[in-house]
Amino acid sequence: MATASLIRPRRAALVLFLLALSFSLSLAAHFEGFDSDDLHSAAADAASADDDEEGLEVELPPPPPISLSTSSPSPPVTTTASSPNPNSDPNPTLTPPNPTPALDLWDEDEFEGIPVPEAVSVDESAAPAEAAPSDPAADAAAEAAPAPPRRPAELLRAYTIEIACVSFLICFLLNYFTGKRQNEAIALAWATRFATRDSIFDKNFSLLGTGDGKDTPLLMKEGQDVFKFYASGRRYCQGMLATMEMRARHDLLSKLVELVFPRKDTITFEVVMNEEAMDHVVLAVARKKAAKTMQKEERDLQKFASVLTSAPAGRRWVADELAVVAESKEVAGDMITEAVLDQVLGDKAFEKFGKWFISLHFSDQLAGSYKKVLSFKFVLPDASNMAEMTRLVALVPYYIDLVGRYKLSNHARSKTEATRTKAAQEAFREQQGLRQEALQRKKAEKKKLMEEAEAKLSAEALRKKEEKERARQMKKSMPKVKMLRS
Amino acid sequence: MKEGTSSGGGSDPRQPSTAKQYAPPKLSAQDLPIDYAGFLAVVFGVLGVMLRYKVCSWIAIIFCAQSLVNMKNFENDLKQLSMAFM
Repeated sequence: MATASLIRPRRAALVLFLLALSFSLSLAAHFEGFDSDDLHSAAADAASADDDEEGLEVELPPPPPISLSTSSPSPPVTTTASSPNPNSDPNPTLTPPNPTPALDLWDEDEFEGIPVPEAVSVDESAAPAEAAPSDPAADAAAEAAPAPPRRPAELLRAYTIEIACVSFLICFLLNYFTGKRQNEAIALAWATRFATRDSIFDKNFSLLGTGDGKDTPLLMKEGQDVFKFYASGRRYCQGMLATMEMRARHDLLSKLVELVFPRKDTITFEVVMNEEAMDHVVLAVARKKAAKTMQKEERDLQKFASVLTSAPAGRRWVADELAVVAESKEVAGDMITEAVLDQVLGDKAFEKFGKWFISLHFSDQLAGSYKKVLSFKFVLPDASNMAEMTRLVALVPYYIDLVGRYKLSNHARSKTEATRTKAAQEAFREQQGLRQEALQRKKAEKKKLMEEAEAKLSAEALRKKEEKERARQMKKSMPKVKMLRS
Repeated sequence: MKEGTSSGGGSDPRQPSTAKQYAPPKLSAQDLPIDYAGFLAVVFGVLGVMLRYKVCSWIAIIFCAQSLVNMKNFENDLKQLSMAFM
């Protein structure tokens, strides 16, 4: 606030004095006294330090209260400035160096009302600089006060950070809108291709979209890069949720990161099967490396399945790049049919469509809230090439039917049942162990609490007893003393 | 009746009677992915205020913008905005 007062010479003193009068009528007296004290010290500081910047930093520690009192400090400033001379002395020495018209304009009108917030904003200089165009001018005045003439080149150098950041922010904003539109275009292209009337999902599901009405939007947008599509009402399954995860096109920083670690747009279909419609099937198909990590990371695959090393004898099998993780060869052979090999997973088809394929994962023992889930993960093509993934999308209803109708042979079933009961027992045992542990912990805690309470009680009881005893003894001894004294 | 015919044959797999409304999975606050950008914005904002580095404050603003852009529910982020702008 001292700097603010320093900038302004006596010219506005009359106006400010009037203001001060009006303010002092409305404000408590002790406010003024306090502020003027504060101001004296601050003014002394400012006078001692020629550099405006240093003076600023010195006076920062006592932060002025910003709410009601914002307007109060200004009147005292003027009154003190007009009555004692030492305060106004530094003013003329400082005013000549900054004869910018912007500054003059700024003080004349706005200074009288809000000097304190201005002073605060000067020290921060970051946030308000981009908010208001007038702030940098004041900022410049405060910073470049010692150097009399300010050329544009110097200004540029002083504000390289600000200029860079503001231009980056502008780029960021522009990129946000364009990237958002791109993502939306891809999602819409997918929806128009596969979820509109007479398309594949319309023919397979009776309910499309997340709403209940007829013209509710098909897609649900969950953030700028995540879109969801829900469908339900089909035999063998409860519902299907497709989640499109786009690249973060709307986010310039993530885009820069993606230059180093490239990502792809993906779509994941998760089909929740009916309880009775899915037999014991645990199967995953992915590229070799991914299949291995899946086998390690997914719990159901870890427990029930292993990577198949060889194809079932006498059969065409999946492309070389792919690996199959399955519970048994029988399941794998039955699930990966000739039709699927022809369409997508076979050698020839995979050459063409392999780039859109990431993984399949069917399981009746999934760890999440639903146990029986088929999940398909594909790469999303561009908005213009959406037709290329038609075959892959067609896998979804195909597999719903295939898995829904599938029944394991008795031999295989006995095996899988055994492993499942074993796993269930293990899980049960684990749970029981956990429960017991929790119970024991609870018991121990209770015991501890009880003991503590007892200890407290006993301590209190002891003290009471002692007190009583002391009182009794006192009583006993008192008369004797009295007797003795008398 | 209708459903019976449709479920029996292989022609029309649709079953309107079994259609279920979409129920969004319930997420607790802890399950949400960490908002790294928001966190960085706060860190840089605090640094900017403490050390009075302009650059820190600017970086905080940029990260704040990123977290704003990436946010998925609109409720709790105004707080972070104000925090980062301090």
